[in-house]
Amino acid sequence: MEEIRIGVYVCWCGTNIAKMVDVEAVAKAMREIPGVIVAKDYKYMCSDPGQELIIQDIKEHNLNRVVVSACSPRIHELTFRKALENAGLNPYMFEMANIREHDSWVHTDRAEATQKAKALVAGAINRVRWHESLDKRSVEINPATLIIGGGIAGISAALEIADAGKQVYLVEKQSQLGGTVAKLDLLFPHLDSAQQLIQPKINRAMNHLSIQCFLNAEIREVFGYIGNFEAKVYQKDDLETEIQFGNVIVATGLKPFDPSKIDQLNYKRLPNVITSLELEEKLLSGNLVMDNGKDPKHIALIHCIGSRNKNHHEYCSRTCCNTALKYSNQIRSAFPDAAIYEIYSDIRSFGKGCEELYTHTARQDVMFLMYDQKGEVPKITEARHSEKVNMMLEFREQLSGEHVEVPADLVVLMVAMEAHENAKEIAHAVGVSMCGNSFYIEKHPKLDPVATTTGGVYVVGSCQSPKDIPDSVSQARAAAARIMADINFGSVEVEVTTAVVNEDICCGCQTCISVCPYTAIHFDAEKNVSVVNEILCKGCGTCGSACPTGAIRSRHFTDKQILSQIEGLMSMQLQH
Amino acid sequence: MEFEPTIVAFLCNWCSYTGADLAGTSRMKYASNIRVIRVMCSGRVEPTFVLKAFREGADGVLICGCHPGDCHYHEGNYKCLRRYHLLQNYIEQMGMDKRRLHLDWISASEGKQFAELVDKMTQTIKELGPCQVKHSVETLT
Amino acid sequence: MSDNEKPKLKLAVYWGAACGGCCVSVLDVHEKLFNVVAAADLVFWPIALDIKYKDVEAMPDGHIDVTLFNGAIRNSENEHMAHLLRKKTKVLVAYGSCAHMGGIPGLANFTTKEELFRRVYDESESTVNPDKIRPQTSFTVPEGVLHIPEFYNDVRALDQVVDVDYYLPGCPPQTERLVDVFMAIVTGAELPPKGSVVGAYDKSQCDECERKKTDNKKIKAFKRPWEIQDDGETCFLEQGVICMGPATRGGCGVRCIKGNAPCRGCYGPPADVTDPGAKMMSAIATMIDSDDEDEIVEIVNQVADPAGTFYRFSLPGSILRRKIVQTV
Repeated sequence: MEEIRIGVYVCWCGTNIAKMVDVEAVAKAMREIPGVIVAKDYKYMCSDPGQELIIQDIKEHNLNRVVVSACSPRIHELTFRKALENAGLNPYMFEMANIREHDSWVHTDRAEATQKAKALVAGAINRVRWHESLDKRSVEINPATLIIGGGIAGISAALEIADAGKQVYLVEKQSQLGGTVAKLDLLFPHLDSAQQLIQPKINRAMNHLSIQCFLNAEIREVFGYIGNFEAKVYQKDDLETEIQFGNVIVATGLKPFDPSKIDQLNYKRLPNVITSLELEEKLLSGNLVMDNGKDPKHIALIHCIGSRNKNHHEYCSRTCCNTALKYSNQIRSAFPDAAIYEIYSDIRSFGKGCEELYTHTARQDVMFLMYDQKGEVPKITEARHSEKVNMMLEFREQLSGEHVEVPADLVVLMVAMEAHENAKEIAHAVGVSMCGNSFYIEKHPKLDPVATTTGGVYVVGSCQSPKDIPDSVSQARAAAARIMADINFGSVEVEVTTAVVNEDICCGCQTCISVCPYTAIHFDAEKNVSVVNEILCKGCGTCGSACPTGAIRSRHFTDKQILSQIEGLMSMQLQH
Repeated sequence: MEFEPTIVAFLCNWCSYTGADLAGTSRMKYASNIRVIRVMCSGRVEPTFVLKAFREGADGVLICGCHPGDCHYHEGNYKCLRRYHLLQNYIEQMGMDKRRLHLDWISASEGKQFAELVDKMTQTIKELGPCQVKHSVETLT
Repeated sequence: MSDNEKPKLKLAVYWGAACGGCCVSVLDVHEKLFNVVAAADLVFWPIALDIKYKDVEAMPDGHIDVTLFNGAIRNSENEHMAHLLRKKTKVLVAYGSCAHMGGIPGLANFTTKEELFRRVYDESESTVNPDKIRPQTSFTVPEGVLHIPEFYNDVRALDQVVDVDYYLPGCPPQTERLVDVFMAIVTGAELPPKGSVVGAYDKSQCDECERKKTDNKKIKAFKRPWEIQDDGETCFLEQGVICMGPATRGGCGVRCIKGNAPCRGCYGPPADVTDPGAKMMSAIATMIDSDDEDEIVEIVNQVADPAGTFYRFSLPGSILRRKIVQTV
């Protein structure tokens, strides 16, 4: 067996780690561990000079294993694996110890944090001892793409890919394409027509030779892996179509919050309390009137209904402020003499041209009144007959500090945008994760915002978080570009940390077969052994734990590696 | 001096490890007694790992996976749940308090819950005192 | 020296804490004993030959070629003899489950010396001991001082006391396997690396088991063997009966299973398995056919004695080794 020669690098992360962890002491302690040839601390290991330090040491000291203790491996494991590769070492001869997110950032006692860092790094050193070289594998890419959701995001991605000559399957659960945008009248900030924007795109998508549209359709399950997926599209009358594709874009959009959950808004009970999307219907039909057919004289727009409140959604729905400003302008055009109230909690008119929209609206004789969205929303009641309006709004106005009453003939609730009720089913079907509020989680919030942790599956538009049109379209086209790059390359590298069966040990008990959620294991009756399809295997390791004989090894998460890591961790005890 | 337990934690990569990372990026503070081992799925956690941690001197072992129904690998966490209960019965027979081994679900967005869980478990183990497995084996007579 | 060119092997068989079954398994070579005797001199075997400890002590170091040491280490005599035979032997074989992993006597690690003595010398229904006399390690009689071995608190496997060259598992080992190993040594075949398990297969029981196995290993209820209508053909696990077969090396000829009893695990784990009980617990629990926590608990609780079931032959050799002795 080759001599183990480990290089250990302890990152300061500026002061992020060094402030709470004595990085020099950690490096020093690691030098005592057998097999450690060099142990150094450095200001920013992920920087170019930091990586260069590793590369130089690998060459100079003939290192064959590397441990970096720095931030979470979820951030920089790939960076350092790449550095090993550049130095001619197999990228899997690397292990990372997380002494930032799991240590310096969460503890307050320097001695304790330092001791913990020593334990974590010693665990990583003991683990890396048993690491093995793993060879990269690649699979061919089926050039077709499945897009789930035919709103502005889905259509934009579909056209981008189809215009490049590649097949797209566009699956929409409604009877027509267009999604939310097709239900809008004008768009902020320039008050241009939503219909003029979306209808030509819908027509083009419906008639594109490279796009097959499925309306009233759904996907229940997606099988396979990046480059080689397959699924059935279910439509009305038990119509099923089998499709094969190499990538998936999820663009399922969002749905409005139901304000009847908030009692004092009296939504549904008072006929002239409507949601923003219901107002869009009135605007689209050109019939902006009250339920009795008369023109409203007092119109109130209440912001943040269901947003930014821990009882509903803590997040900001991002589009409603600008939408409300848009409404004030539309209402002002329709009723030059009407009183318009924007009952807001903070005006968040960010985005190109949007602050200008706010400034413009403020000059349109619109009254801005502030309420506290964290507390109670304005109470809407029916006005007494003696009043000349039909409703009264009561709330505490934040800027004046006074309890105010606002008359209204029409109240528009700027409802939050939330994930679809079937977001979870789609997540399961395609294998993406959801965060607490049911929006899909991207692979990295900043650096990889449209990919997901499942290879070949992308999330774009408002299913990832509430977005306006420019952001949705940007994401859609970004995902399309990512996919086109893979299609053009023709193949893609896949996970190599899969399970593998040692046929000399496997006794054919078949315990593992039903354990695999990806049906990646089958039984070879002739040899009386289980066989793992390494392309289908996603490397969860559950079969390795279920195998009673020890014949299944979870590559890169072997028993030996984990047991040794435990020994290493425990070799640096807490100082009692 | 107050007893400071060592707790070994096995966290799944997609939910719990990410949740623990979030506790870090959110600068939440929790007890430093925990040492984390990353696995891809809680379904990879074998009884052998847990027993090994106790044997090496851990006073408690924590396993965290995705919430039921939310496993990145569909159902690995259920496999973990089944093993956990059988292992609980075993360690109890071996003279250990069941509370030394704890399974919980932490999603990627539950940084706060992770921090609270670590503090709570640390407190429980402090009350139970040092685990005697390592001592027992080292002083066989 | 015989007419054979090679000098005859010097063979010893010794028992520690054992039932005697291992020694009988050596006797079970029957007529092949002649082959053994033709190739080897038995220089020490308390069950069969009257050779005293002092005779062994007088042997030069490394005098014995092969010692088959059966039985666990339970008292100071076992430990003394393990050290002595290690010194006198070139190839020390842990023979049988007790020497290999602690075996059935190893189940005493669920209790303590004090608890055992209390039961045996005070409480047992057949004991009359009003003065509560307990065994002493030395006792003065008119003729002098008598010494008897000290009974230990813990049972150990042989390799937890001395360095072991090979393991020949089984409770007891199958005689055929012993003959295979013995003939390999005699004929000078290349021996496997030190520390190997010999006389057993790399693959576990299922490879040889003739019962029908499918991938339908889903358990809704654990059953004891008497609770099922065994058809004699279906995999025990698929009938809800715990069978240690998958986590146990083959080599015994699947005798228990052929006798319609599930495997108990005496042949020990396949290579690279650290803790056979933990491996089997992991596998068995995975088979539970429920995602509902309450139901899982209910099903798990049907395994009446997990420690005794999964560690029947391997407790001292397992990771935890014994039930915790609570110290304050």
